[in-house]
Amino acid sequence: MTVALENNITTTIHGDRVSLLRVLGPAHVWALGVGIVLVGEFTGWNFSADKGGALAALIVCWVVGLLYTSVAMIDSEVTSTVAAAGGQYAQAKHIVGPLMAFNVALFLVFAYTMLEVSDAILLGDTIVAKAGVEGLTHNSFIAATIVVLAWLNYRGVLMTLNVNFVITAIAYVSIVVLFFSVSPWTQGAVLKLNELVTPGNALPYGWIGVIAAFQFGIWYYLGIEGTTQAAEEVRSPARSLPYGTMAGMITLLIAAAMTWYVCASLMPWEYLGITYYPLWDAGKLTGSPLLENLLFIATLLAALASANGCINDAARAWFSLGRDRYLPSWFSAVHPKYRTPYRSILFLLPIALAFAFIADLNQAITFSILSGVLQYTFMSINIMMFRKKWPLGSIRRGYTHPFHPLPAIVLFCLCVVTFFAIFLGFGSQLIAMVAFYFLISLWFHFYRYKFVRRGDQFTMPWPKPQGY
Amino acid sequence: MSRYTPPEQSKAGQVFDIAVVVVAIFVALWLPLKLGLAGAAKSIDALDAKTWEALGQNPTMASIWEKLGYTPETAHDIIQNRFHYIIDWPTLIIMAAVLIGYFVFLFRASDREYRDVINEKFDDK
Amino acid sequence: MWVALSYACWGISIVLALWMLYDWFKIDTNYSEDVLTSSREGELEAASEKHRI
Repeated sequence: MTVALENNITTTIHGDRVSLLRVLGPAHVWALGVGIVLVGEFTGWNFSADKGGALAALIVCWVVGLLYTSVAMIDSEVTSTVAAAGGQYAQAKHIVGPLMAFNVALFLVFAYTMLEVSDAILLGDTIVAKAGVEGLTHNSFIAATIVVLAWLNYRGVLMTLNVNFVITAIAYVSIVVLFFSVSPWTQGAVLKLNELVTPGNALPYGWIGVIAAFQFGIWYYLGIEGTTQAAEEVRSPARSLPYGTMAGMITLLIAAAMTWYVCASLMPWEYLGITYYPLWDAGKLTGSPLLENLLFIATLLAALASANGCINDAARAWFSLGRDRYLPSWFSAVHPKYRTPYRSILFLLPIALAFAFIADLNQAITFSILSGVLQYTFMSINIMMFRKKWPLGSIRRGYTHPFHPLPAIVLFCLCVVTFFAIFLGFGSQLIAMVAFYFLISLWFHFYRYKFVRRGDQFTMPWPKPQGY
Repeated sequence: MSRYTPPEQSKAGQVFDIAVVVVAIFVALWLPLKLGLAGAAKSIDALDAKTWEALGQNPTMASIWEKLGYTPETAHDIIQNRFHYIIDWPTLIIMAAVLIGYFVFLFRASDREYRDVINEKFDDK
Repeated sequence: MWVALSYACWGISIVLALWMLYDWFKIDTNYSEDVLTSSREGELEAASEKHRI
């Protein structure tokens, strides 16, 4: 890591220009992706048990895993080719068009900011629950989480993601430790899966419950696509991004399966569906104070890692919007010393704080999921257009995903199912969100776009797209 | 094709645009919270007999609830608080129409803007 | 102990927030807007592509 740092000191200011620093390797990409997502195992995924029962949670864990494998494959291909900060935003700009790009950037900023808010609330609530002190509120812990992490992000991306790598690894190891300490190979001693998940209660709402559970099944993996935000800071994006994203996805599939198995074997689904700390509770229920404390700390670390990655990603998306003048160019400033999009980081900080103080965990998570699913719907169409406008061989791709167009079709179908799942129980919130995106799109298309330079938006050294 | 030169935006205009975006974000996220549109549509199916058996919990489950500090009385509101999945067709149709309309607008308007971008980028050279 | 921790959290938040505001102000007054907003998308890509050919 130090070698990498020294090598890239040379990428400093060219004349009087400043840009983001290229210092990251595949491990950082993994840390960014898994760091954001892993908190989902510590809270959030279990709400899918609330919507459909314990078995539904397992089914969606796998089916949504398939959705995200498609996301990771598609994303790896496009992003290894369009390697720019802003990730899916830059992809949309080159492949679909400016208005789509504007919306995608907003999906990203909302998904990550609300995820950051959820993380901060989770961290605050976990500490308050642990302390059990009368009158202690979560506000101070929320403020400290958001401000300290914003500060870390402000000071430089390398340190930010090094920290993320360490805390994500510790949180991940704690899941593995929990899994092996409850002797997963023998049921009945600690784990009682067959008594807790019975034929009578496995699917309490029937199959419609399984569909409904898709909504929170998203939470097992939401944010893995955030790895692309680092594209401008990774040393060799064409190689590191696919590698880090795929490795992250495999890591998460394993963690999700272990988490479900342990939690469903320790708690009745009605409780599992409403607790904010499924893994910490699992630690408690094993009766070992060591495991309980380990999972308590891991919950905090996972929340920190996630919020940290979210600040990183949301700021990059916001920064890219400013750079193309989709929003005032003031946001596109890079810190001359730390080489971070410091104004974007500072601008998003009070917004995150405000929502962390007024929203509750469930609502913040739903906002985030909604923006995420809108974005995946875009991705499935985007890859189709990408292959059509620049067929294989017409440009150099860092990675080409197999079985096209199957992953895109699978992704699209699963997105439709997820929209229906959100409709079951959270329908009015969905309509309100889409109405917002619609209105802000009108604002952009008819007013804001006049400040944008046309041809300059297309920055990739590609030939003209086919059909134009 | 002639290059499009965007107008320079004044400082005040920039500040105003930032304000518009911030207000829009707060309205979009905060208004549903205030109007009670956010959150799950659940309701409690109350039971008269508050025992573990009546709540459908076998002895293993009951022992775990007790370990977590619940009695049948306190667990009642958790266990019986349920979703009622009734497909409300008008709402579903509105939702589908809003979503499809949104995406259609998005792709069509984007395509119009995209053609300008491509023309300017590739015809200059 | 937890209450003290809570106060410490407020303290850290305020100190770091003030530091960021100070640094923001310092950078914005010491550097011109043109330098700060000089980052361009795809610049490095274009350079490395040419290099390979």
